[in-house]
Amino acid sequence: MQHMTLIHGKFSLAGRPVAYVVAVAVVVAAVGLAFPVHRLMPHASLSLLFLTGVLIVSARTGLGPSLVASVLSFLAYNFFFTPPYLTFEVADEGDVATLVFFLLMAAITGNLAARLYQEMARRHGSLRRISNLYEFSRRVSSAAGAEAVLDALADHLSRSLDRPVAVLIAKPEGVPAVRARAGQPEAIRRLLIDTAWTRDSPEPFVVEAWHFLKLAIQRESMGMVAIHGQVDAEQIDLARSLCDQAAVALDRTRLVADLEQVRLVSETEQLRSALLSSISHDLRTPLASIIGSTTSLLEYGESFSEENRRDLLATVVEEAQRLDRHIQNLLDMTRLGHGSLTLHRDWVDLHDIVGSAVSRMRDVLKGLPVDVGIADTVPLIRVHGVLIEQALVNLLDNAVRFSPADGRITISVRAFGECIEIELCDDGPGIPEDEREKIFDMFYTVRQGDRSNLQGTGLGLAICRGMVAAHGGSVTAHDGSNGRGTCMRIVLPLVRPDEKGRA
Amino acid sequence: MKDAPGTILVVEDEAQIRKFLRISLEAHDYIVHEARCGADGLKLYANLHPQLVILDLGLPDMDGQKFILHLREWSQVPIIVLSVRAAETEKVQALDAGANDYVTKPFGISELMARIRVVLRGYEEASTAPTLLESQGLRVDLSRRDVRIDGAPVHLSKKEYELLRLLIASRGRVLTHQQILRGVWGDAHLDEIHYLRVLVGQLRQKLGDDPAQPRFIVTIQGVGYRLALPAT
Repeated sequence: MQHMTLIHGKFSLAGRPVAYVVAVAVVVAAVGLAFPVHRLMPHASLSLLFLTGVLIVSARTGLGPSLVASVLSFLAYNFFFTPPYLTFEVADEGDVATLVFFLLMAAITGNLAARLYQEMARRHGSLRRISNLYEFSRRVSSAAGAEAVLDALADHLSRSLDRPVAVLIAKPEGVPAVRARAGQPEAIRRLLIDTAWTRDSPEPFVVEAWHFLKLAIQRESMGMVAIHGQVDAEQIDLARSLCDQAAVALDRTRLVADLEQVRLVSETEQLRSALLSSISHDLRTPLASIIGSTTSLLEYGESFSEENRRDLLATVVEEAQRLDRHIQNLLDMTRLGHGSLTLHRDWVDLHDIVGSAVSRMRDVLKGLPVDVGIADTVPLIRVHGVLIEQALVNLLDNAVRFSPADGRITISVRAFGECIEIELCDDGPGIPEDEREKIFDMFYTVRQGDRSNLQGTGLGLAICRGMVAAHGGSVTAHDGSNGRGTCMRIVLPLVRPDEKGRA
Repeated sequence: MKDAPGTILVVEDEAQIRKFLRISLEAHDYIVHEARCGADGLKLYANLHPQLVILDLGLPDMDGQKFILHLREWSQVPIIVLSVRAAETEKVQALDAGANDYVTKPFGISELMARIRVVLRGYEEASTAPTLLESQGLRVDLSRRDVRIDGAPVHLSKKEYELLRLLIASRGRVLTHQQILRGVWGDAHLDEIHYLRVLVGQLRQKLGDDPAQPRFIVTIQGVGYRLALPAT
């Protein structure tokens, strides 16, 4: 009852020795006042003065000091102000009645005052509990994870009960273990935990100095709270309401974690199936051409014309090269994905890079013209040449796929402040505004039936972006120059030759 | 009519695959028409009425399954499906939709040629309604319900005979589980594949057929069954 006394103390002196001192002092003051007043009024009226003193004492203190004050007041009144003076003898019957009134008055007001204080103390107690609960619920409802909820629970329980507290959480394999503590509780013996955990009752389980309370939602136990030391029924109620709130919050954080897990799994699953279908389709299609062409040559080659035989052999070479590009893409992707891509920067001329990218794609371009324009102001750049060439090859590959038969591809390079801008434009069908970012996602291909030869692996652009990003640059898709087609723009930060020492 | 070269429509979006198909088929005196997408394929079919359609399941403009359903609305022309998809469900779906056979990419040209021959011959014979099958000692006379192995009569139950008749009528192409269940038991038992397994086992036993080295009934795992026909 420590805190109850504390609250009482704010308003009254009840139950403390000082209250009796106050009672005596008030009576002494009444006697002091009574002497001058005695000259002005009859002695019977003086009892009112003493009565006032008793009322003051009983209003400010409790029943005990009031009774003390009333007895003292009667004795002083009798001693000093009733004849025979300076004796405790009672000459008048009326003075006995005065004593009885003093006592009665003291008893009634003292009682009333005490009840008032108790009521106020109770109100304050519940107000404190409510604000405590409110603060707790605010804390746990904003808690991001189970850890924060458990810490808040231990902290609040320990503070509002003024007892050491440990919070135990059930593990999948069974018996719970301590996950949060507050107020430096001593270690709980394993046996106590086991016994408390196996009890199937919502009532608190008391053993040695510990009170165990279950943390449960809809009869499913998640864990326990262990409180060390004596606690009364009211504190148990408080603890239980905190536990209930914590259980709800724990359930919520668990749901959030489950949802997050499901989302992660489904994303991984999607990526995996995209990768599988990419491998199955994009590796098998060239293989189908190669196997079909070679078996045709083997089985019926003698009956084919020379031209057809050469044509089939050319197909085999082309398709084998295509297969090689797909495999290169898959390897690049794995390297980018693992972050194991190391840049070997060196000074390169963009004329060389663009030139070799175009010549590497000659077989794929099949006569589609490529206009290359590189401004004179474009300096040497310090990049990993092979990677930038591959990025360009992937952009070219993409442009060829979407170009009409009489199309044209233009590549222009400009220096732009501290950047180099490489723009590759085609006159294909263009890319809808809302897909211009998505095309750089892994395995994203613009929808057109379930597949077509217009589509690639859905890896090329993602790889291109990854390689340029490794150099601190960016790749974006834009409208074609005259409202037709698409322009892919690579922007690379420029590192000038005179910064050689730094770069 | 029999010696006239067949006309074949190839619906396939991969140029390289079209190329070797054309060269090989033309070397076998077939007349080849090519279509890059489903819409072109349907248009060409309506104009040329080829004897056979070779169809890639993954087309840029429409799903191959849809193409089959479309074509089957007005034509019973044999269809051989090409697909990179190894998934059985795709093949079963195509066969159920009305395709006559399938080849999984990548494939050797001789495999495709064999399928083409079987399908074309089956189609031709079905139109002349043969009543007699003789193959590797098995002799089935459909007009007299007479089944013999090496000259000795075999007694088949009604359902066993019905299954054999279905396989013969389909002339060596694959019949899906659903097609056989529908043909032998009717629409009410399409999910009772175990009936089918038991029946096939009984029929094989009576014909003296070994499932490990089938002479007559070939199992296509996950898809259905086919009657093995001697190469001719």
